[in-house]
Formats: sequence, C-alpha cells, structure tokens
Amino acid sequence: MRVSHDIEITPKSVVLDGKQIEVSETGERLLVELYRRYVGDYPKFYKMDTLSRLGFIAAEILLKIEPVEAVILGNHNASIKNDRDYLKTITDGNYYPSPALFVYTLPNIVTGEIAIRHHIQGETSFYVLDKQEDLEPIIHATLNNVPSPILGGWCECSDKDEFNAKLQIIWNN
Amino acid sequence: MEQLIEQLKGQIIEALNFEEMTPADIDADAPLFGEGLGLDSIDALELIMLLDREYGIKLADPKAGKAIFRSVRTMAEYIQANRTK
Repeated sequence: MRVSHDIEITPKSVVLDGKQIEVSETGERLLVELYRRYVGDYPKFYKMDTLSRLGFIAAEILLKIEPVEAVILGNHNASIKNDRDYLKTITDGNYYPSPALFVYTLPNIVTGEIAIRHHIQGETSFYVLDKQEDLEPIIHATLNNVPSPILGGWCECSDKDEFNAKLQIIWNN
Repeated sequence: MEQLIEQLKGQIIEALNFEEMTPADIDADAPLFGEGLGLDSIDALELIMLLDREYGIKLADPKAGKAIFRSVRTMAEYIQANRTK
C-alpha cells in the first residue's frame, strides 16, 4: 500500500501533502472558502450538509492532482449533525420536514457526491466504525479487489464547526 | 404581483440554500428546472413544502406542478390565486 497524496482538513487548518494551506475562515465558513477557491462552479455544494461539504471539498482538492477508481470512507458519528438538523424540522407542532435535509441523513451520501462529481463508477462505500484505525484493514481488503488508486480515509463531522477529514490517494503497490 | 415575486425569490433562496444568490440574480421568467436555476426533484419537494408552509397551499394534483413551477412568475400567479394565508 502506498499513499501518493493526502489532505487533512480541520475547522482551523488545511494541510495538503504535509504543507499548510493559508486560510482566513474557520469552521463551516472554511469549507465555503475552500469551495470558492478550488471549485466555484458547482452550486450543488451549497445544498450539501456539512459532512458532504467536508468530504466533497477534500476530494476536490486531492482529485485535481490525481483521479481515482474508488472511494472508501469512514467515520464514527455517521451523519449525526444533519440527523439532528432534520430532527428539528419534525419535532415541533409546526410539522414541515425538509426533503433537502432528509436526503443527507445517511453518511454514504458523501461518497455518492464525490462519485457523481468525478464520474467514478467503481466501488463507493462508507463505513461507520468505532475508531479510525478500524478503517485500515478495510482499505487493505478493498485494494486487493478493485483497481487502484482509491480515495480513502476518515471523514468525521459531529457539528458545523467540529469536523475532521483525513483523505488519501492510495495505491496497492 | 411584483412584490410577491420578490418575496418568493427570497423564500426560494432560503429554502434551497442558495447562499451566494440574491433575488436580483433570479429571472422571474426563467425556467426553474432543467436550465435556468437548474433545480432537481428534491428541490421540487422543497418548493411544494414552501407553498404549504408560507401560503397554505396544498397541491392536490401533482400533474399541475409542471405548469405551476415553470418559473417564479407562474408560481407567484398560482399563489395569488390560491393562497389561504
């Protein structure tokens, strides 16, 4: 297994291949700043929940360097932030559930958003795991069964300003 | 009518999360789906919810949606004729 490129995005920093990228915003606004800087022409970004925005923008930056054949991501809290947002729309007496929020109440939507954007027709999976280390054997197993490279890594979001993505482009040799 | 159109544009921007957009960016006569704003089926559901929530309109005939949601202006005309609040 070989990692050719990696990116880590937290609410306060972006590190691409070990080099800090200068940013001025923090939290969810940081993701919008990155979208404006690296994408800018994909308005669907604004409809995404924070988890999907995080995974989408991390993938966007990495896949500009190198395309991939598959997407394997994981986290511990699934789509909890958006689940809570959706719950708010169905808890009070004024009952207007939001279809736009409902569609993001599954964490694997982020892998779908990435695959749609980059026309990836191979494996796409999202695993909800106890800890980050549990993802490694899954990626190993995946690499034995699909063409490489793949986009793999941890994509966690527990609130709009609490998130962490560590994505890598991974080869099987 | 023009006041309702401007109000509706603001509500559409908020409901569909078009953070970068202002009412002035939306052409009242441009198609909402396909070209124009490029809305999708989930957005259509949001617009149906908007009509119910803001104007007390429940769409009884789904086939009517195509004509109602052709543009912001056709939406506003339908609202003016059918609103209950």
